[in-house]
Amino acid sequence: MNDDYLWDKSGKPDPQIQQLEEILGTLRYQSKPLNLPRRRNYFPLLAIAATVVMALLTGGLWLQLRSNEASIPAVAIAQPTNPPINPPLSVSTNSPKKRKRVVVNREHKEALAAKQQLILALRVASEKLNTAYRRTQTPTQIKNQHKAG
Amino acid sequence: MATANMLLMNPLAPAAAELAPEAPPVEVGLVKAALEGDRDGFGRLYDLYAPLVHGILLARVPRAEVDDLVQDIFLHAFKKLHTLRDSAAFGPWIAMIARNRAVDFHRRTRATVEITDDLRGSDKQQSKAAEILELIRSLPDAYRETLVLRLVEGMTGPEIAERTGLTAASVRVNLHRGMKLLRQKLGTTEGL
Repeated sequence: MNDDYLWDKSGKPDPQIQQLEEILGTLRYQSKPLNLPRRRNYFPLLAIAATVVMALLTGGLWLQLRSNEASIPAVAIAQPTNPPINPPLSVSTNSPKKRKRVVVNREHKEALAAKQQLILALRVASEKLNTAYRRTQTPTQIKNQHKAG
Repeated sequence: MATANMLLMNPLAPAAAELAPEAPPVEVGLVKAALEGDRDGFGRLYDLYAPLVHGILLARVPRAEVDDLVQDIFLHAFKKLHTLRDSAAFGPWIAMIARNRAVDFHRRTRATVEITDDLRGSDKQQSKAAEILELIRSLPDAYRETLVLRLVEGMTGPEIAERTGLTAASVRVNLHRGMKLLRQKLGTTEGL
């Protein structure tokens, strides 16, 4: 028996082994593609989560800034009330609630005054626009009347 | 010199040279690449080792189950690759997984009757192959695996040793003794 052929296919081929190889070769592995599981793509989920987190952070930051802005003028206005120009009686007390009420009243009056001024300005502007419109319309009407006459 | 002559004569010389002990093992790079997420790297490992796994299974389980089990074993290996300590030992590792899976298969399906090619009515050579395979399967474990890898998968003794992690000497002995037993069994049945 030729052992070399059986070992590494070298040397003189053994006819019986060759025949076995030929017959059993029909059972040999036939290459097939390996179907590996698809990797899950977490990117869209991560992107959505990141967007939500960013939106929440931005909203929180904005709310915080807004509340700070609301609190800062109250203090700023409240401080000058210590030496008041027209000190109301309530200012002399150190109660924060009363101080705040004074500030709110003043703001309300200022807002009303601003509103009155704005309405006045709008009226003036409206009148001016009406005047200008009349000036532009009058000659054409006259022209048309002339043509019609 | 003898090795050089052998390589010149052997049509599988490049493969044998690749598997020489001096050469850096291909598996190391491929395992590393696969662990880093390179699916093509694992695909190459599959191409290299699918015949080995196929042969190991063919020596143990019904033919109809072999292809599915090969896929299952490689999927399992893909998931558990991080547990492989020595990248160079990918072959012995996957060979062991295949042997264990074959044992599991027999535990789960105790009473199975393999539908041979005779029953399916395929050609004569296929049925002859199935008959001889049955004879090989009746041999002791160590012999049948090396014989299937040699005669069915067409691997050489050095390749079998390299891929299974067995020593060349034991593969040679298994081949020699297994072939002797197979010849005896073939002598008792009708000739080839």
